[in-house]
Amino acid sequence: MDITAKVKEIIVEELGVDASEVTVEAKLIEDLGADSLDTVELIMKFEEEFDVEIADEEAEKLATVGDIINFLKDK
Amino acid sequence: MDKTKGFRIGNLEINLPIVQGGMGVGISLSGLAASVADAGGLGVISSVGLGMLDKYGGKGGSIANIEGLRAEIRKARELTSGVLGVNIMTALNDFGAMLKTAIQEQIDIVFIGAGLITKLPEGVDLNMLTTTKTKFAPIVSSPRAADLIFRYWDKHYHHIPDAIVIEGPLAGGHLGFKRDTLDEPVNTLEEILKGVKSVLSFFEEKYKQIIPVIAGGGVFDGMDIASLLHKGADAVQMGTRFVATEECDASDEFKQSYISSKKEDIVIINSPVGLPGRAVNCQYLEEVRNGERKPINCLWKCLKTCDFHQAPYCIARALTNAQQGNLKEGFAFCGANAYKIDGIVKVKELIESLKQELNTAWEKLQK
Repeated sequence: MDITAKVKEIIVEELGVDASEVTVEAKLIEDLGADSLDTVELIMKFEEEFDVEIADEEAEKLATVGDIINFLKDK
Repeated sequence: MDKTKGFRIGNLEINLPIVQGGMGVGISLSGLAASVADAGGLGVISSVGLGMLDKYGGKGGSIANIEGLRAEIRKARELTSGVLGVNIMTALNDFGAMLKTAIQEQIDIVFIGAGLITKLPEGVDLNMLTTTKTKFAPIVSSPRAADLIFRYWDKHYHHIPDAIVIEGPLAGGHLGFKRDTLDEPVNTLEEILKGVKSVLSFFEEKYKQIIPVIAGGGVFDGMDIASLLHKGADAVQMGTRFVATEECDASDEFKQSYISSKKEDIVIINSPVGLPGRAVNCQYLEEVRNGERKPINCLWKCLKTCDFHQAPYCIARALTNAQQGNLKEGFAFCGANAYKIDGIVKVKELIESLKQELNTAWEKLQK
C-alpha cells in the first residue's frame, strides 16, 4: 500500500471519520475534529507503521493530511 | 497492607491515603502544603502564577515565578519533614523552568496536569528524569490519556511515571473533559479509575513496578475515601476541603465564599484557557456571562493556550484577585461539593475527622 493510502487509512481508523473527508487539504484539528489526545495518538501510530521517528517540533508542523504525507515521503 | 494506613510511591512513604490537590493561583502554597504533610498526608504547592502574588512582585513573569516556587518549597521544607509535592501545569509557558526548579529543589514529587506530559520540556532531559529523587505523577481525566502518556514514556524514555492522579468530573478548577461530556456515565470517577487501572496493569507487569493510583474530584468525607480505596485507588486527592482550613493560603474572603455558597451556586464556566472549569458563581462571572469584557493587561502570556486578544478576561488576574480577597474582580474555583462546607477548621482537625470516618467506613466495607 502506498504512503498516501496508508496515511488516510490510519486517520480514518483513529479519528473515526469518513474516508471522503480525508482530503490532502483537510486540517486534522479544524476539519477532522482531532483533539489533543488524537494528535499524540496519530503521531505515535505513524511512527509505528512507517518505522520513523517524528520529533515533537516536526509533529507540531503537521497540520494537514497533505503535510503528513509529504513529511513521510521525505523520510 | 491496610490501605487506610497510607501508601507508597516507590521509596516514598505517605502515612495517610490522602493527597492535598495543588490549587492555584496561590491557594495551596507552603502554608497549607506543609500543614497537610505534617499531619501525615501529601502536601502540594501549586506552582501556577506565583509571580502574580503581591509577595512575589505582583507582575508575573518567569523570573518571579521561579523565585516564588523556590521560596515556597524552601519555606515548606523548613516547616515539616513530611512528604511534599508541587503541582505544575504543562499549559504554562514556563512549564520547563518550573519543573526544573522543583527538581533542583529536590521536591519529593511533581504532579503534572493541564495537558499531557509526553515530550519533556526544554531544560529537562531524560537523564534528569531517571537520576533525580523527585517522583513524577501525571494527572489525567481518562483511561485514554493514561494510556497515551505511559505508552509515550515507555517508547521514548524506557521509563514510566511513578504514580498517577485521576481527576474526575466533580473536581474543582479546570476540568479535563469537554463540557458536554461531563455528565456522561462513562465519565464518573469510579469508571475512569477502573479503566486507568486496567491500562496500568500492562505497564506494571512490563516494568515490575507498582504504579499507585490517586483518585480525586468530589471526594468529601471519610466514606468517599473508603469507597475509592475499596474500588482500587491507593489514595485520594482532595482540594476543596483543605480550602476551608486556617492554614490554607487563600484570603478569608475566598474561604468564606465556599461557606456561604449553596448547591446552585456551584457552576461550570468556559475558561479562556479553552477548558470547562468549576467555580463559585459570583457577580464577576455573571458579568462575563452577560458578555462584559474585562480589561486585560497581559504583561507576558503565561498560558500557551491563552488567546489574550480574544479572552473576555485574564484568568490569572481574576484568580489572583480572588486569592487576595478581591472577589469583586475575580472568582473562586471550587470542587462540586464546596457548598457542603460550613466552617473553617485546622488542618489537623480535618485530617483527624477524615481518619475516623475512614476507619469506620472501611470496617463496614470489609464485612
